[in-house]
Amino acid sequence: MALLTDTSSSAGAVKSRVVRQYNFAQTLPALLLILVFFVLPVLALLLRSVMEPEPGFGNYAELLGTTTYLKIFLNTFIVSALVTVVSLLIGFPVAWALAIMPSRLSTVVFAILILSMWTNLLTRTYAWMVLLQRTGVINKTLMGLGLINEPLPLVNNLIGVTIGMTYIMLPFIILPLYGVIRRIDPAILQAAALCGATRFQALTRILIPLAAPGMVSGALMVFVMSLGYFVTPALLGGTANMMLAELIAQFVQSLVNWGMGGAAALVLLVVTLTLYAIQLRLFGPARIGER
Amino acid sequence: MLLNFDRLGAWKWILLAITGLTAAFLILPILFIAALSFGSSQWLIFPPPSWTLRWYADFFADPRWLEAAWTSFRIAAIVTVLSVLIGLVASFGLVRGRFIGKEALRALFLTPMILPVVVLAVALYAFFLRIGLNGTTTGFVIAHLVVALPFSILSITNVLEGFDKSIEDAAVLCGAHPLEAKIRVTLPAISHGLFSAAVFSFLTSWDEVVLAIFMASPTLQTLPVKIWATLRQDLTPVVAAASTLLIIVTIALMLLAALVRKGLKS
Repeated sequence: MALLTDTSSSAGAVKSRVVRQYNFAQTLPALLLILVFFVLPVLALLLRSVMEPEPGFGNYAELLGTTTYLKIFLNTFIVSALVTVVSLLIGFPVAWALAIMPSRLSTVVFAILILSMWTNLLTRTYAWMVLLQRTGVINKTLMGLGLINEPLPLVNNLIGVTIGMTYIMLPFIILPLYGVIRRIDPAILQAAALCGATRFQALTRILIPLAAPGMVSGALMVFVMSLGYFVTPALLGGTANMMLAELIAQFVQSLVNWGMGGAAALVLLVVTLTLYAIQLRLFGPARIGER
Repeated sequence: MLLNFDRLGAWKWILLAITGLTAAFLILPILFIAALSFGSSQWLIFPPPSWTLRWYADFFADPRWLEAAWTSFRIAAIVTVLSVLIGLVASFGLVRGRFIGKEALRALFLTPMILPVVVLAVALYAFFLRIGLNGTTTGFVIAHLVVALPFSILSITNVLEGFDKSIEDAAVLCGAHPLEAKIRVTLPAISHGLFSAAVFSFLTSWDEVVLAIFMASPTLQTLPVKIWATLRQDLTPVVAAASTLLIIVTIALMLLAALVRKGLKS
């Protein structure tokens, strides 16, 4: 029995307690790191929101009672919702096609999806800053085609953020949705055809309902990730379109107002964790926020 | 019918068109930046009037860019080693242990993945200002370790759950010291998990922007921070050159990962 250094059902009670402590001890370095450099600092930040400049909920009253801040909340919500809807509208047909197309073709598309996901976030945002600028390729092409006479304002506004964020979020909705559609039994759709359903009926009454859990779960994930995004909105959105993450950074970096920064962080945290809990309740543990 | 590619009829072409356009939408901006990094136009006119290596020369001639790249590499390398080591030990505890609160602990370890990174960045910034770690390599490493560790733990627990522990026990029965059995039997068997943990940890740190913006000081910044600071000024093509170098590193690591996976399978 000496060989059983880890847990075993046959080991004696004393031994198994020792083993249990040993296994727990193995997680200690990670636990220490997460407690000291994750849990503690976040709690401390949230605490400052009710302690500075004076104890109470003054920061929250100001945050939720000022039009400027409410507009930022609203804008964050609108951008995230827009990005989610557009990603879903594009992502569903792509995931569907990927699930059924010949593997020669799908391998190429997967390689592109993964390359795009792993390309540096700043690089991808920079590409859109260049593409969408006044003298950028997109404006030039549209003018060349005679569709517009003046360059369209495509950056520093809602259009710019939506394009840039959708670009980043698409793989996050396509990949899980692909998995869901892949698991649907094609025989069900064959049965529908045999029973006389048209393609459109089969799509709206069978395929979409069967894929719905994947769509909701993917959409929730994209929405939650979008709510907290910092870099892309800051570079493509401009000041009139500020989002919550940027507001938090500004409170801390430019205004050195830790109380307000903590309060805004708590709002973001509560919304994120609530939506994540809903996701977990509905669909079980999913691999959220993978890059 | 809808899940049979050949019996989709006209719908097949619609789906293919949407997929093709989406793939183009995802890949073209990346190719575009790579092409512009060789273009001669200061204002990033496309197609470029002529081709040049000037922006790469500018990049390599500027000690600030090189220093930032070196800082990025150094930090990512330290993060990788620590993340795999801590992740490996913790994974043994999580997979083989039977203690109360194990699942809660596992969930806690993965939380940094779902928390908006800006919240962690601001919180750590405040904490590090107080204990004097701001603008130090240690500060950077700790910040990146917190977000890299979940990837490491996920990859390693995954392979460890698939590893049959009786093989390790057999080695101990044959007279190996338990630690020796772990190092010479278990580790080689789960090496592909360790490798993906290393790749994920490295790329997480190497590409990380938000934490880095808050941890950086004028004298210590990573490549993404340098790009971020430059982009706030103007869209210079040197950023295109730096971006292309970043893309090359990413592709190289991805290919390496694919090769190792293939090599381990055969």
